[in-house]
Amino acid sequence: MDTQFIGEHLWPGRLGHFFVITTFVGALFSAFSYWRAAKTEKTDAYNSHSWQLLGRNGFVLHAASIIGIFFALYYVIANHLFEYHYAWEHSSLALRSKYLLSCFWEGSEGSFMLWTLWNSILGLIVMSTSKTMETRTMAIISMVQACLASMLLGFYFGPDVKVGSTPFMLLRDSMQGAPIFQSANYMNFIKDGNGLNPLLQNYWMVIHPPVLFLGFSSTLIPFAYCMAALWKGDYESFVKPTIRWSLFSGAVLGTGIMMGGAWAYESLNFGGYWAWDPVENASLVPWLIMVAGLHTLLVYKATKRSLIITFTLLLLSHVMIWYSTFLTRTGVLGKTSVHAFTGEGSALYWHLIVVLGLLVVACIAFMAARWKGLPRIKTEEATSSREFWMFIGSIVLLLSSIQISITTSIPVWSPLVKWMTGKDVAPPVDPIAHYNNIQVWVAIIIALLSATILFLKFKQSDAKTVLKRFGITGGIALLLALFIGITQEIRAWQYALLLFSCSYAIVANLYYAFVVQKGRLKQLGPSVAHLGFGMLLLGILLSSYNKQVISVNTLGVIIPFGKSDAENAKESRDNVVLFHNTAVALGDYYATYRGDSTSKSDPRTFFRVDYQRIDSATKKVEESFTLYPDAFVNPKGQEGLISSPASKHYWNKDIFTYVTSYLMPKDKGSFIDHTVKEGDTIFVGSGYLVFRGFNRDVKDPRYTPQEGDVAVTADLAYYDMKGQKGMLRPIYYIHDKYDNQITDTLQKEGIMARLEKILPEQKSALIQVKQSKPTDDYIVLKALLFPYINLVWLGVIVMVIGFLISLRNRLAN
Amino acid sequence: MKKTHIVLLVLVAAAVCIIVSKFGDFSTYETFASASKQPGKALHVIGYLEKSKAMDYDPLKDPNHFTFYAKDKSGNVNKVIFNGEKPRDIEKSEQIVMKGYIEGDAFHCTGIQMKCPSKYKKDQVVVGNAS
Repeated sequence: MDTQFIGEHLWPGRLGHFFVITTFVGALFSAFSYWRAAKTEKTDAYNSHSWQLLGRNGFVLHAASIIGIFFALYYVIANHLFEYHYAWEHSSLALRSKYLLSCFWEGSEGSFMLWTLWNSILGLIVMSTSKTMETRTMAIISMVQACLASMLLGFYFGPDVKVGSTPFMLLRDSMQGAPIFQSANYMNFIKDGNGLNPLLQNYWMVIHPPVLFLGFSSTLIPFAYCMAALWKGDYESFVKPTIRWSLFSGAVLGTGIMMGGAWAYESLNFGGYWAWDPVENASLVPWLIMVAGLHTLLVYKATKRSLIITFTLLLLSHVMIWYSTFLTRTGVLGKTSVHAFTGEGSALYWHLIVVLGLLVVACIAFMAARWKGLPRIKTEEATSSREFWMFIGSIVLLLSSIQISITTSIPVWSPLVKWMTGKDVAPPVDPIAHYNNIQVWVAIIIALLSATILFLKFKQSDAKTVLKRFGITGGIALLLALFIGITQEIRAWQYALLLFSCSYAIVANLYYAFVVQKGRLKQLGPSVAHLGFGMLLLGILLSSYNKQVISVNTLGVIIPFGKSDAENAKESRDNVVLFHNTAVALGDYYATYRGDSTSKSDPRTFFRVDYQRIDSATKKVEESFTLYPDAFVNPKGQEGLISSPASKHYWNKDIFTYVTSYLMPKDKGSFIDHTVKEGDTIFVGSGYLVFRGFNRDVKDPRYTPQEGDVAVTADLAYYDMKGQKGMLRPIYYIHDKYDNQITDTLQKEGIMARLEKILPEQKSALIQVKQSKPTDDYIVLKALLFPYINLVWLGVIVMVIGFLISLRNRLAN
Repeated sequence: MKKTHIVLLVLVAAAVCIIVSKFGDFSTYETFASASKQPGKALHVIGYLEKSKAMDYDPLKDPNHFTFYAKDKSGNVNKVIFNGEKPRDIEKSEQIVMKGYIEGDAFHCTGIQMKCPSKYKKDQVVVGNAS
């Protein structure tokens, strides 16, 4: 007989699961109907229209169901229904409500749901705006949505084959056989959930994943339009909407990626905003390809050239989103990534391989079927034409993403190499230097092209004007680069070259925007986006090249950027010990650790560190400020710290600090027993305590007298060399036949006293005293200096504004 | 042949050259035995914390010095020196991926990555990167 479980709330789960199924079925139905509509479009307009209406209804049902899933899951999490595995695994009672949404993207199911949700919202927009392309784009979108929705199904075919994973799985189903679920009232024992990963309890993690997933979703629309264009054999009507959606995608995905960087910089202790980590690369590659595809599409619009490469790039961009999901969610990256992702087991692994395979086969089949009829232009483009150089730039971006993908995919292809050669290939020991040394060339070329192509015209440019503009802007850029290079001491020649390219990109795009375009908003999009790109590159160059570890005791500054001085990097020593109230030199500053603090409303521990900059000649304090790096101490039953940095922001640099180690309060010193009579003295490190006797009159907010209690304090007066400095009144009380002790602390001196026992026969007391030694009170700190990091953020913002200006102008047309 | 095709070929050729020439950056997974045959060369060793031998981290002496013993996949135990803070939860780690090189008897570690079992699920927790 089945056990009747008590205290479960089953209806949200049942409703949610119902929505999961209607989401999947709705998408399939919509795909089928739209497919029928597309097939009969030419032969039977009436029939086609009916199918189209069915397709729309199917898609609306699909979209509404996802919103249903969203609210059902939100209900489960917000009401702490821990009978659901998802709520138990990813949330807890103590979770602050602003982080409830973050639970959605801690788990794999929740992220797939978010992705499906964005896709369906974008799909609804496409449905109402794509006109003649509707049937085909929507058939493609619905098909992809069916693939995504299948990720949430959680169906079992036999005991071993599982398709998808539902967020509405019950705890007792996910851990079958655990003895606790034998009892019908098991809910009485499950009081709290596992809780959200402390790293996700951060405002960046509330906004970064939704934006990033919107970016992922945005690549679907150009993909769908390109597939639809191939399907229909119509290479005209897809151009305008695809340009708009590619601009949207470039803006949103770019923002999402750099928000991840900002999150890493603000709240993780990776020591930077970009580390060429596989997870970061996995979202960068689709963006690079999308940007390349956008540019070749612009070429196609203006000159009818580069259609094949446009299709290839825009299709590839979305396929790479799936590939990146495969890399980051299945655990293939395993030992190579610093991101804490969980492998979801072989079910998801094979599921994603099947979807990836379907997408790749579909892309190739569509291209192959139309290959002969794809319009090509026989004549050559002029070397002085804009399209020629835009094409080259796009190819460089594609090659760059191929290089990034090859290194990122080492864990994917290394088994093959091991099988062939016996060598077990691992990622580069210094991945940052590896990528930087290669990608610096891409950055140089793209920065140069980003300004140059704007001076050129489609088809044929006037050489004289172009050369004049090159001369003016190049000259100014050279001066700027020389100035920055000398003041910032950029010595490595390839980075000096990059410095010139960035300067040129900035100067030339400003020149183009204000002198050539006269600042007209209608044409500013490209130059603003390119200007932002140039600023971003310059910011990356300056902040990374001169990144300084200021918490070094020994000499030798470690910069992995461009200087692959491996020996130096191997011996990097960048932790420093800060004792309580003892100033330590960190670069130009003196840092003093002033103590830790906690509060009831926040699970974190804050460490106060005061900084002072003192003029070496006059000894005057020129500047002083306080930073509070924080950490979760012993989170989720683990030992140790999960720390978050604190930074001092200047306009031209950041001081970035975080705590790497800290002695837990319980580990500081140990209690020593003293048996004393009234008037006796107990010596402690910094002075002595005099036992003044017992006191029946207990007045302490920490103790509330109850009937039948016996309570007493031991009054201890603390003296140092200069006289009495305070009183300690540890409490001893008997409640319900058991004895209890409340320790008293003299905070300033670090003295703790406990009245352990009263010995009536000897008229004495057993008092335990400890004083934390000054050397027990310290933190280990890492401090870095990032010059001109604001240029990185400003560059990204300007670039995204450029995308949005272009998008606005193209929507207005 | 069109000009674009030539440029395309040149670009692809250049890219292939650069990518292939940088294959040398790729490291390998080794054991302590095979790593000690190439002292000073930076590589990866996968191993487990040897709990029978003591770990040592005293930030008061040197906050950038942590030593422990690890057993590699072939069962050899070696001393490991990490120039950084003691990684959180290393006692509970199931597996440790160490980046570094052999010098003398010890494996000098520049980066540690650990796989930790949490109570209910297997997590990848990563800690510590000295570089």
